[in-house]
Amino acid sequence: MDIKLPDSTLRKFLFTRAPAEKIAEALTLCGPSVDRLHKVAADYVYDIEAITNRVDSASAFGIAREAATILPLFGIKAKLINNPYDIQAGELPERRAKKLPLEVEIRDETLVKRFAAIVLDGLVVKDSPQEIKTELELAGERALNNLVDITNYLTLCYGQPVHIFDYDKIKGAKMILRESKRGEKITTLDDRTHTLRGGDIVIEDGAGRLIDLCGIMGGKNSQVDDQTKRAVLFVQTYEPKRIRKTSLYTQERTLAAQIFEKQPDSCLVIPTIIAGVKLLVKYAGAKVAGDSIDLYYLKPERITIRLDLKLVNDLIGFKFNAKTVNSILTGLGFTVKKLSASTFEVTVPSWRTHDVTIWPDLAEEIARIYGYFRLAGKLPVSAYLTTATDPLLEIEYRAKSFLANLGFSEIFNYSLVGADIFTKSQMAIDHSVSLTNPLASEFEYLRRSLIPSLLMDLANNSGKVELPIRIFELANIYLVDEHNPKELPEERPILALASQGLDYRTAKGYLEALLVKFRLPNLTFTALDEETGPWQVNQTAEVYSGKHFLGVFGAIKPAVKSAFNLKSDIYLANLDFRALASLANTASTYTPISEYPDMIEDITIESNRTIGELIQLIKAESKLVTKVIYKDSLKNKHTFTIHFNNPKRNLTQAEVNHIKEEIPKATLSNNPG
Amino acid sequence: MNFENITNSLAQGTASVGTISQLEKIETEYLGKHGVLNLEFAKLNKSDKSKCGQEFNAAKLKAIQTVEKRRNELIKKTEKESFDVTVPGILPPLGHLHLVTQAIREISAIFTPIGFIRRRYPEVDTDWYAAAGLNIPKDHPARDDQETFYVSENVVLTPHTSNGQLREMELMKKPPIKMINIGKTYRRQIDISHTPMFHQFEGLLIDRGINITHLIGVGNYFVQNYFGPDRRIRLRPHHFQFTEPSFEIDITCGVCQGVGCRLCKAGWLELGGAGMVHPTVLKNGGLNPDKYSGFAFGWGVERVLAMKYDLPDIRNIYTTDLRILNQF
Repeated sequence: MDIKLPDSTLRKFLFTRAPAEKIAEALTLCGPSVDRLHKVAADYVYDIEAITNRVDSASAFGIAREAATILPLFGIKAKLINNPYDIQAGELPERRAKKLPLEVEIRDETLVKRFAAIVLDGLVVKDSPQEIKTELELAGERALNNLVDITNYLTLCYGQPVHIFDYDKIKGAKMILRESKRGEKITTLDDRTHTLRGGDIVIEDGAGRLIDLCGIMGGKNSQVDDQTKRAVLFVQTYEPKRIRKTSLYTQERTLAAQIFEKQPDSCLVIPTIIAGVKLLVKYAGAKVAGDSIDLYYLKPERITIRLDLKLVNDLIGFKFNAKTVNSILTGLGFTVKKLSASTFEVTVPSWRTHDVTIWPDLAEEIARIYGYFRLAGKLPVSAYLTTATDPLLEIEYRAKSFLANLGFSEIFNYSLVGADIFTKSQMAIDHSVSLTNPLASEFEYLRRSLIPSLLMDLANNSGKVELPIRIFELANIYLVDEHNPKELPEERPILALASQGLDYRTAKGYLEALLVKFRLPNLTFTALDEETGPWQVNQTAEVYSGKHFLGVFGAIKPAVKSAFNLKSDIYLANLDFRALASLANTASTYTPISEYPDMIEDITIESNRTIGELIQLIKAESKLVTKVIYKDSLKNKHTFTIHFNNPKRNLTQAEVNHIKEEIPKATLSNNPG
Repeated sequence: MNFENITNSLAQGTASVGTISQLEKIETEYLGKHGVLNLEFAKLNKSDKSKCGQEFNAAKLKAIQTVEKRRNELIKKTEKESFDVTVPGILPPLGHLHLVTQAIREISAIFTPIGFIRRRYPEVDTDWYAAAGLNIPKDHPARDDQETFYVSENVVLTPHTSNGQLREMELMKKPPIKMINIGKTYRRQIDISHTPMFHQFEGLLIDRGINITHLIGVGNYFVQNYFGPDRRIRLRPHHFQFTEPSFEIDITCGVCQGVGCRLCKAGWLELGGAGMVHPTVLKNGGLNPDKYSGFAFGWGVERVLAMKYDLPDIRNIYTTDLRILNQF
């Protein structure tokens, strides 16, 4: 929650000679951060980030309370002044006008924590005094008239939202605070009409009209205007969750709502209403015309915490003495009772009961006010005796590096995709993990394939980069467990390679290089037997290592290419990286080099078998065949270069010739490999 | 016997070649193990071999001399030839690792030597690990800051790597726990400094006697190794539900070294959040908060990249334009 605080408003509660720059610096280091300090005419404005659980510091007084404790630790004297908690009930101006009735009925006591109101008469609506106008404007609020400005000024000073109704617009002088019903409508001050979902906190008047969307914004029908003479000054604290819920769905993230949902101190309600009445008397001619109404005040629970100095020092890593601890906590409003030399009983002040509940909360107060910047860092000595991490992490990096070294560029696509690129890829988007609150339709699903993203990447680079293009991505895909759709989806790492402008053998060569590099055993490529997804069926293969499926490699079909406006040959490899990693043999083993030279011979085989089958057959023919290199083909005549070697002795030409004669026979049998 | 014919034809051959590599080819052709000379000698029967031995050796010597003579000539010739050393090389294709991969590598390489184990935890996780178990109840205003994407009421795209905290405690069962969890995270926002998907690195150290000064020590160690030895961090008070105390960590600006300049907030740049693990979180992870304490931090990979390389718009990291990607 960001607030703008004029220096002049702050100094109404803080007496110090410290310049604004010094206050900003000290606050940033030890309290709420001052994001920026602006010099404005004769004043300064602090842009302050009030921390979410510290709604008590989201006001001039709240910041002053912090600064008054922090500045002395920088050697600067500072004192908190005009503390609203010192305002006594007796300070409320006496009734000076004829008593006006106001009937309040609260239908559900859980809705409101404290309800205060007072009726005023004799009001004269005009401009606020210049001082209030200037300070409000510096705080980023528009000055309207004295009545509204004073309510806003009270919030700026004390951090307590305040509302003012035109008394004469409340029919029957009656307010009924209740839960809203589904479908009820209210038009708020900003001219927006909200249809309520039910369960919101609202006020109905004697004529059954809704006049307040409580804690969020007042109703248009009861707002003060130029003619207002009589009014109800209204200060409450509400049940925070309802306020938050209403504020979120009505999209009215007003300052009041942001404060109320964070539970401001109910003890501040009466001081605020008294200060308000005084200001209205002074600047708007107000006369009190009714009793002060104060309902349902639940005295806040008294929280006491046992504080052990040793535990505090262990958590912070510094040796604080009892005196420092005492002065820091007392300065912030805590009551400290010494139990022994190093233990205390600390009572939490009413405005901190929501954020200080356990001793580490107190340790934080001590350490931050003292200043984290004064603590010296040191490296911890904790260590594991053995360390084991997921080997996949290292293999991923090695695969990525290898591909980058081969000339591929790595791309990171968003995991969030739209349906359209799946449709273009002729892939189904249904059964994908989808978001209930997507940012836009192009980020609606968690992708179940990397392929559409890579095709999109090629399309995005079309005409910008010279062909050939080689790209890859290694990322998770997300798969719904169809049997257990409520379980978390499987996150499966996929490595996808894409090339544009390379031929089949070159593109496949990159894939094979990767698989060979990781020593995947028994690689085979099996022709795809049915049309699926973006693949051109006759130029696509399933890739196996032994019996284990690794993925698919092949060409993208023309219809998909044209859907992406892509030209030239496109080949993709889509690999299950976990399968690849688990089969990869990353530990090298030593094989002695044969002392005897290879015999190298070419052979041409006439056969209708696939080249892959022929290579397997040649290898299977004899243990003496150590390498088979495919040379070229002429129709169904295929030429290979074969290396023969026997590590134990020199081969004879006769042995080699014998094997060469056996090979064509083997290709005629029915059992490949 | 044709040895003389062979040496003559060798001489003709050597005279006609213009480069050393051509000469070497002829050398192998005539003088190699299976060269013309040896083959010719091999054709002879045993008695002829002993008769012609001398002749064969003389021819071989002559052939060697012929080749060597020509080699010397050619060496002299090539030494005198003009050659343009500035002719460009033929480059193999050059690929590129993505900046994020490089950064993750660099970050884990910094934390590994001080004993942090690299981890990765689910990107899609239950509300328990991502929020409720981290002391962020449903309806809590702290959920505002998280801008979480929901898959269902109970399943979210994790908005931070802190979902790994409880998972790591469950995995290790007892301290020491010392992980650096690097993973993909998601938040519902996109602007100059936010992308809906990004990466965080989460440090978590739990053991006996871990305190704030250890966090400061590890923080300084990281920034000095990642950004440079003259950088340091500072802690500012902040609030997170899952740490107590909580901090916002700043790092001295690299441009002005902490003095204050146009680029930074009075000399400091925001790095990210950190804190001492909340006792409730330790309890939720099955650890006794009276015995153990710990610190945690979760910082943005893209954020430190943008700071290091002075990238004005974080969305550029997720460009798919190879003209940009291939610059790194």
